[in-house]
Amino acid sequence: MLAASAAALPALLATAGCRSSDAFAGPDPLAGRPALSPDVITLQEVIKAERAMIALYQAAMNGEPASRVRVLEGLLAQHRQHLAQLQARLVLPSASPAPSASASRSAAAPRRTTIAQLRTAERASATDLVQRLVSVPPALAQLFASIAASDATHVAALAGYGQG
Amino acid sequence: MGSGPVSAVQALQAALAAEDAAIFGYGVAGAHLSGTRKTAAEQDWTGHNEARDTLTAMISALGAAPVAAQAFYRLPSQVHDAASAMALAAYLEDGVTRAYLGLVAVSDQRLRTFGALAMQGSAERAAFWRGSTQAFPGLVAS
Repeated sequence: MLAASAAALPALLATAGCRSSDAFAGPDPLAGRPALSPDVITLQEVIKAERAMIALYQAAMNGEPASRVRVLEGLLAQHRQHLAQLQARLVLPSASPAPSASASRSAAAPRRTTIAQLRTAERASATDLVQRLVSVPPALAQLFASIAASDATHVAALAGYGQG
Repeated sequence: MGSGPVSAVQALQAALAAEDAAIFGYGVAGAHLSGTRKTAAEQDWTGHNEARDTLTAMISALGAAPVAAQAFYRLPSQVHDAASAMALAAYLEDGVTRAYLGLVAVSDQRLRTFGALAMQGSAERAAFWRGSTQAFPGLVAS
């Protein structure tokens, strides 16, 4: 299933993931912190946005009746799947501190989110991912496109919810 | 997707084949639907015809010959009522979504964007017919 296909896809590596110290004796012209590749930076930004989306959903569920929470939970669960797949593609050099999920959960989440705000966020996410997918490797572009399509379906799902 | 870079023409031909299959399938599904569902199926059928024309033109513009539609397509299961017709429509849209996802792997940036936007439409239609959304439209689960 998805995990298997994710494992088969080429991992994203930071351009300077290897240490130069032992590998070759010559002077290192780029001494200092290795730069992250543009793909890694893009992926980190998309992961950050996905976390923000999850926080928005959590804020939207505060105080909602159980029947409505169930609908939102279904969509939230799909965003958690998005996040897991995105994180699975991220391979950082060991020197880089990996952002922890628990830290981000306690990060500033809005107190209350309306359904209209969720719809706007889903639409914006789909647009953003489509803009980003032109410049990343094919496998990552396909993941972005699939998540964007999922977000687009959430817009319609939330429209039905809003009327309910 | 196979290994190596995906050819734009190959990916467009795959999308065309999926659209042709959808046009055929919606003809079958529509016969078992009524009311607003029938109207929705007719709209989707029209949309797939338009997409077929667009893809045909794009393939021709790349100097290739668009592969003609088959006279008959094997359906995944028998369609005998509204429920099975809606399941077929969702199945057809899934196939279209997978095909457009193939376009997202080509090197041409405009084709990537075209495929990504087209698959949003088919994913939305699949969600409508299925009555639920998916986390990863187009990415094969098997």
